[in-house]
Amino acid sequence: MKYLIATNNPLVKKKADNLCFVEGSYEDVLIKVRDLVYEGVELVSHPLGASMRMLFSPYRSIILGQKSKTINPFHVEIIENSIINYRKNLEARKVDWVHADDYALIDNELLKSTFKDLEVDFNKI
Amino acid sequence: MKLELRRIHIKDIQLGKETAVKDGVLIVNEEELVSKLKEDERIKDIKIDIARPGEKVRIIPVKDVIEPRVKIEGTGNGFPGVSSKIAQLGEGKVNVLYGAAVVTVGDIVGFQEGVIDMWGEGAKWTPFSKTYNLVVDITPVEGLDPHSHEATVRLAGLKAAEFIGEAGREVTPDEVLTYEIGSHVEETAKYPDLPKVLYVEMLISQGLLHDGYIYGVNSQKIIPTLLHPNEELDGAVISGNCVAACDKITTYQHQNNSVILDLYAQHGKTLNFMGVVLTPELTTLEGKFRTCDYTAKLCKMIGVDGVIISEEGYGNPDSDLLMICKRLENSGIKTVLITDECSGRDGMSQPLADTAKEAVAVVSGGNVSHVVTLPPADKVIGNDESIATLAGGWDGALLEDGTLMCELNAVIGSTSEIGYHYCTAKLY
Repeated sequence: MKYLIATNNPLVKKKADNLCFVEGSYEDVLIKVRDLVYEGVELVSHPLGASMRMLFSPYRSIILGQKSKTINPFHVEIIENSIINYRKNLEARKVDWVHADDYALIDNELLKSTFKDLEVDFNKI
Repeated sequence: MKLELRRIHIKDIQLGKETAVKDGVLIVNEEELVSKLKEDERIKDIKIDIARPGEKVRIIPVKDVIEPRVKIEGTGNGFPGVSSKIAQLGEGKVNVLYGAAVVTVGDIVGFQEGVIDMWGEGAKWTPFSKTYNLVVDITPVEGLDPHSHEATVRLAGLKAAEFIGEAGREVTPDEVLTYEIGSHVEETAKYPDLPKVLYVEMLISQGLLHDGYIYGVNSQKIIPTLLHPNEELDGAVISGNCVAACDKITTYQHQNNSVILDLYAQHGKTLNFMGVVLTPELTTLEGKFRTCDYTAKLCKMIGVDGVIISEEGYGNPDSDLLMICKRLENSGIKTVLITDECSGRDGMSQPLADTAKEAVAVVSGGNVSHVVTLPPADKVIGNDESIATLAGGWDGALLEDGTLMCELNAVIGSTSEIGYHYCTAKLY
């Protein structure tokens, strides 16, 4: 097992193995990832999306790697900053549940795209 | 490379019998355009509409905006690698239907935003309220997968712009703008004392609805690459991103990239403009390191004194922006960043998702969280259900009379990170 997917996206749960499925919110996924990073698990993909709109998503999938004996301070900084930013951005906004299925689809597509970038067959995860 | 952008000033768009420009009025044969676009079997229906500056019209959800043009001399009419055969761009003569724009509408997913108001308060925030817009609303056949759907809509817009652009082929332009920069050796010999400056343009490159294309190549697949600025002005860069309405760089904005035009204006006067580095914004951290290291290396290899970096999007791209900045500043290359801010309704929060002490010169394109109040439109082109999406971010945003309160985030091009927009700072 090279990669682990931390996700709360039901679409990803259906299709992939090597899951750390979080029964909870986007923020809960971030917190789970933070805990794993503090245990020495490597952060492979960035915890945040690339636009404001994707912060409205109820779902998020983040790719993690191997567990090592040391904690990567850069990864700690990234996940901690991501949590601060996520909370800040959700202060005045709310999760867009109306389009939950569409967010699940896009999150799943972006995840597939990231695996393509990693040259890993998503179907074999 | 020498490129002439020959502007034909367009003062109105009308539908008519023949696609042509007459006395500054662009006439479009709707039937011909629709049948041209429907050559793509993936398209079920096309609706054409016109939105003029000042009309109480709202366009939503906008996918892309494209400037219609025709290349009358030199290779590469249309968008080589995408809508036409591959060809070298950047040289020759282009007739531009200046003041006209093709706006594509098509909701690929339900949460897409992207509003253009042609009048009132909304018009103040988007540059595309001032253009005469030919709106192409694209409905694909049923059962298309989302990737094909996105590609269909993207291609239809480019083809429409190419088709309409033909109308300008024989028209005498109202103004001719010439862009010419030679090789690094030539320009440095001409301006030995001027500081050498590169422009690093970042592109969201992360997958469905989050892509950019260079000569038709998905930028996700490239390592940072060097372009002559004329290539971008000539249509080498295409937008495939349609979730970050306020700071997405539309194809129109690539064709008229303000940073490139401003650097051109200073070339030979205060600086020596060495070209454009296109840098993908990837999702993996390894990918981010690769592209940021590579970008810094390109800048160092070319031996520049200064770099201007523009971002696209918000969130994980902030990391790339600052990683490139750190690398350049630490190599002694002066760096200016152009971004926008997500600093809360009151503008008091930290604006970016990341920070770095090296980022000492930062230009803001505006606060995406700024709230605007948009009165109801007489006519909505596109999908009026999307208006509820705009208001969906928080309670009480859609008032009973149809007035909409939304963040600038939802307005196309409102906080452009390449400066192609109206947000500005006033000194008191």
